Amino acid sequence: MSAPATTTHASGHELEQSKFWIFVQIAMLLAVITGLELVTVYLPFMKWILISALVILSTVKFMFVIFYFMHLRWDKAFCTILFFIGLVLAGGTMWALLKLFGAEASKPLTLSAPAAIIRTVA
Amino acid sequence: MSSTAAAGTIDHHHDSTTVTGIPNKKLLMWAFLASDCMFFGCLISTHLIYRLHPPPGTPNARDVFSIELTSFSTFILLMSSLMMALAVNSIQKGNLKSLRWSLLTTIFFGCIFLGCQVYEFRNFVYEKHLTITNSILGTTFFTLTGTHGLHVLIGVIWLTAMLIYSFTGRLTEKDSIDVESMGLYWHFVDIVWIVIFTAVYLLEYI
Repeated sequence: MSAPATTTHASGHELEQSKFWIFVQIAMLLAVITGLELVTVYLPFMKWILISALVILSTVKFMFVIFYFMHLRWDKAFCTILFFIGLVLAGGTMWALLKLFGAEASKPLTLSAPAAIIRTVA
Repeated sequence: MSSTAAAGTIDHHHDSTTVTGIPNKKLLMWAFLASDCMFFGCLISTHLIYRLHPPPGTPNARDVFSIELTSFSTFILLMSSLMMALAVNSIQKGNLKSLRWSLLTTIFFGCIFLGCQVYEFRNFVYEKHLTITNSILGTTFFTLTGTHGLHVLIGVIWLTAMLIYSFTGRLTEKDSIDVESMGLYWHFVDIVWIVIFTAVYLLEYI
């Protein structure tokens, strides 16, 4: 029993030690990605390409923070599931709202529009 | 934790005393963060919806925002996240001295972020004449970033309280879950800013 326990202790200690460098490397990577995001907005490409690139880059940053800094990589899967329930609900709500209010019929009325509506009704 | 007691170390990721195997404090924090996701999701959607159809007279956000200042704030918050992760790593190793330095640096970075936000808000109100009531852009922008700033302020207060508590001698490796829960909250504030930085600021420059 003592041999595996010692092995567990040693590997646990190594993990804690290696975590320090993992965190430092990830922080540097996050800083580089932020720099890339800044450069991206000034690139002369089509809008949808730039928006897609920004969404991908920020998603990568997001994932690195939650899986490494927030320890989801080492924690039980239930924590990941719990957080992703909230994330999916939030994302779904955002998507639904943007679709609803992005529709042509959802555009806010301009100052001249009420007069046109009154004329139509009359 | 008892499962690894024989090995002489504390397993910080599993707790055999709970049904889920997850410490209750950590579970509570993850549940809170999941609900906070929905809160910020609604605030960000509201801002984006009004940016899709800006009413007449809405100021051009590009003329108002300062991408240099915001990028600096983003970098500072990312670095504060690194220091917070190192603080959690320190308490898990029982290194109180390292924990205190990491917490102090995180508080320092958090204060810089808040200072940048106060400067930005003052600049918007007094120089760019964008207030919370005079345009829909101001309303959604100040509500969203102000709520995030409030989260950062709560985090800084929590960090400061933990730093003071660490000097009482009652904070040990066994209490690392308290620091870890606080760390989860702080990293959450960081990931919300990652989304805000892209959705609110960078998209205006495309």
